[in-house]
Amino acid sequence: MWNELLYAFEAVATLPNFLAMFAGIWAGVIIGAIPGMTGTMAVTLALPFTFYLPPVTSILLLVALYKGSTYGGSISAILIKTPGTASAACTVLDGYPLARAGKGGKALNMALVSSCIGDFISNISLFFLAIPLATFALRVGPPEFFMLMAFSLTIVASISGRSLVLGIISACLGLLLATVGEDIYGSYRFALSEDMKSGLGMVPVLIGLFALPELIKMVVFRPEDNNDAMKLGDNRLTLSEFRGSIKSIFRGSVIGVALGAIPGIGPSTAAFFSYSEARRTSKNGDKFGEGELEGIAASESANNGSCGATMIPLLALGVPGDVITGVMLGAFMIHGLTPGPLLFQNNLGDVYALFIGILFSSVFLFIAGKATAGAFTKISRIPQTLLLPCILILCVYGIYSIGASPFDVTVLLVMGVVGFIMMLLNIPAAPFLIAFILGPMFEDNMRRSLAISRGDLGVFFQSWISWGFFALTVLFVILTIRREWKKWRDNRNADSASAN
Amino acid sequence: MTQNRDFYAGLVATVFFAVILFVLIPIYVKVPSFIPGFAPPPDMWPRVVATVGLVMGVLALVLAFPKMRAASREQVEGLGSRILGNKIHVMRFIGVLIVFAAFVYGMPLIGFVPATVLLLGVLFIMTGKFERKFWMIGLSIIFPVLLYLLFTKVTHTPFPEGKLLSLSLSDLVTL
Repeated sequence: MWNELLYAFEAVATLPNFLAMFAGIWAGVIIGAIPGMTGTMAVTLALPFTFYLPPVTSILLLVALYKGSTYGGSISAILIKTPGTASAACTVLDGYPLARAGKGGKALNMALVSSCIGDFISNISLFFLAIPLATFALRVGPPEFFMLMAFSLTIVASISGRSLVLGIISACLGLLLATVGEDIYGSYRFALSEDMKSGLGMVPVLIGLFALPELIKMVVFRPEDNNDAMKLGDNRLTLSEFRGSIKSIFRGSVIGVALGAIPGIGPSTAAFFSYSEARRTSKNGDKFGEGELEGIAASESANNGSCGATMIPLLALGVPGDVITGVMLGAFMIHGLTPGPLLFQNNLGDVYALFIGILFSSVFLFIAGKATAGAFTKISRIPQTLLLPCILILCVYGIYSIGASPFDVTVLLVMGVVGFIMMLLNIPAAPFLIAFILGPMFEDNMRRSLAISRGDLGVFFQSWISWGFFALTVLFVILTIRREWKKWRDNRNADSASAN
Repeated sequence: MTQNRDFYAGLVATVFFAVILFVLIPIYVKVPSFIPGFAPPPDMWPRVVATVGLVMGVLALVLAFPKMRAASREQVEGLGSRILGNKIHVMRFIGVLIVFAAFVYGMPLIGFVPATVLLLGVLFIMTGKFERKFWMIGLSIIFPVLLYLLFTKVTHTPFPEGKLLSLSLSDLVTL
C-alpha cells in the first residue's frame, strides 16, 4: 500500500496538476461569488476542457471548481447579502449583519478558515471512510430521508426570531412556493402560466428574497445614511474568536461529511442542519442571525465539508449524489474509468492520486480564498446608493444566464417585492428559505415512502436511523413548546405587573 | 407598533392562505384520475401546508388582539392613517412596482442590454442622491455592457436583442 501511495504522490505532484487545481479553485471562487453562477455551471463549462487533460488532472480540476464555487458563494452572501450559491444562503443570516457592522473582513476570514477545515476533514474522510460511509449512505432510503428532513425543518423554531407564529407562517409560504410546478408523479400544481410548469428556480427565489428588499427599502424610505459605504473595521480573525467557534466548525464538518455522503442531500441541507445544531447548542445561540461568527463557521464548515463527501458514493459505489458529481461521472467515463468497487481494484493508483490531489486542494482553497477575500472586501467601500442598484443588475444578468429565461428574472423581481412586504410585516425570511430548500425533499420522500409501503405509516419506523431522527424531532418539538410556554407566561406576568 | 404589525401580518397570512386553500388549490392543483400505488394525491401536501398557514394566520390575529387592546390608542395606528401618513413612501413603492413591471414587459421589446441600462439609470434616480452624478451615468452604461460581455463570452448566454431592434435591423438589411 505504501509503495502505491508513494507512486500516487509522485503522480500528483506535477506542475500541470497543481496548475489545474489552482486555476480550478480560483475560477470556482470567482464564479461562486457571482450571484446566479453556480458550481454546477462552473463544472459543466469546464467539462469540455477535460477531454485534453489526463484523467487525474481533469477530475482534480472539476473537484477544485466545485470546492472553490462552494466557498465563493459565501463572499457575496457576506458582503452584498446575495448568496452566490444556494449552499451559502445560511451564511447570509450572520454574514451580512457583520459586514454592516464593519466586520466584513472578519466574517470572510471565518468563512474561509471554516470552509478549509471542513474541506480538509471531508477529504480525510474520503481517504479513510469511503467504504463504510458509502455503506451507511445506502441504508438511507426515502423513509429515513423523510425523518431527517422533518428534523431539519424543526430549525424553523430556532430561526423564527421574535415570533414563532410568524416564523411558521413564513415557512408555510416557502413550503407552498416549493410545490409550484410538476410533482414527482407528473401532476402540475399552481401552474398559473406555461413557465410555472417547471417550477420556481431556487436561485432566483433566494436571491430575490434576500438581495432585493434592501434596495427597495433604500428607494422607498431613503434613509439618511444611504449614501455611506459600509464601515471597514478590524478585519483580522482573532485566536479567541476562532477558538469560540471551533466546536461548531468540527461539528459542521462532521455533519457535512455524513450528509454529503448520502446521495441527493447536498451542501445546502448540510449547512442548515449544522447552523441549527450550532444555534441549539451554542451559548451565544440567541445572537445567531444578528451577526454571530459562530453561525458563519457552522454553515461554511458544513457546506464545504460535504464537497469531498459527495465523492464518496461516486467513487465507492458509482452513484452520483448530485448534478455536479453526475458531471464528474461523465468525466470519469470520458477517460475510460468506471467509478465503483472495480475502480479500487483496477485503477488503485489513480484513486490514490486523486485522494492525495484532493487533500492538496484544501491548501489551494486557503491561498486563493485569502487573496480574493482581500480584493472582494473593497466592495464594502462602495456607497450604498451606487452598490445596491448595481447588485440588482448583476443579479438580473446572473439569473438570466442560468436558463436564458425571462421568467426567472420575473421571479427574482417578484420575490424581491415579497421579501420587502415580509420585511415590513416583521415576517422573518430565514424560515421561508429553509422551508423552500427542504420542502420538496420532505414531500417527495414522504410520498415515495407511502407509495412503497402502500399507505402504511409503519414504513417511517422500520429502521434505527428513522427512530433516531424521530426521537430527536419529538424532543426538539417538546423543548420548543416548553420554551414558548415559558416565554408567554413571563410576558403575561410582566404585563400584569406593569398594570398593577 | 409591533403588536399592530403582528395584526397585519396575521391578516395578510389569513387572507393569503385562505385564497390558496379555497380558491387556488381546487382550480390549479389537478388530481389525476389514476395515481400509481398508494401514493398520496398531489393536492394533499399543499392542503396541509395551506391549512397550517391559515391556522397560524388566525393565531397571529388572535394573539395580536389582547396586546393591541392593552396598548394605548395613541400607540396603535390604523392601516388607513398609516398609509395616509406615509403617502410618499407608498408612492415610491408603487414607483418601484411600475419600474419592475416596465422592465419585465419592455425587455423583450427593446432588448436586454438597453433595458438593464434604463433600469439601472432609473434606480439611481430613485435613490434620490445625486452627489455622484457622473458615477451614476457612467455606471448605468458601462456596468450592464460589461456584464453582457462577461456572460456572452463566458457562459454564451443568448440575451434577447429586442423585437424593436431586430425589426429595424432587418428593415435596414432589406433596404
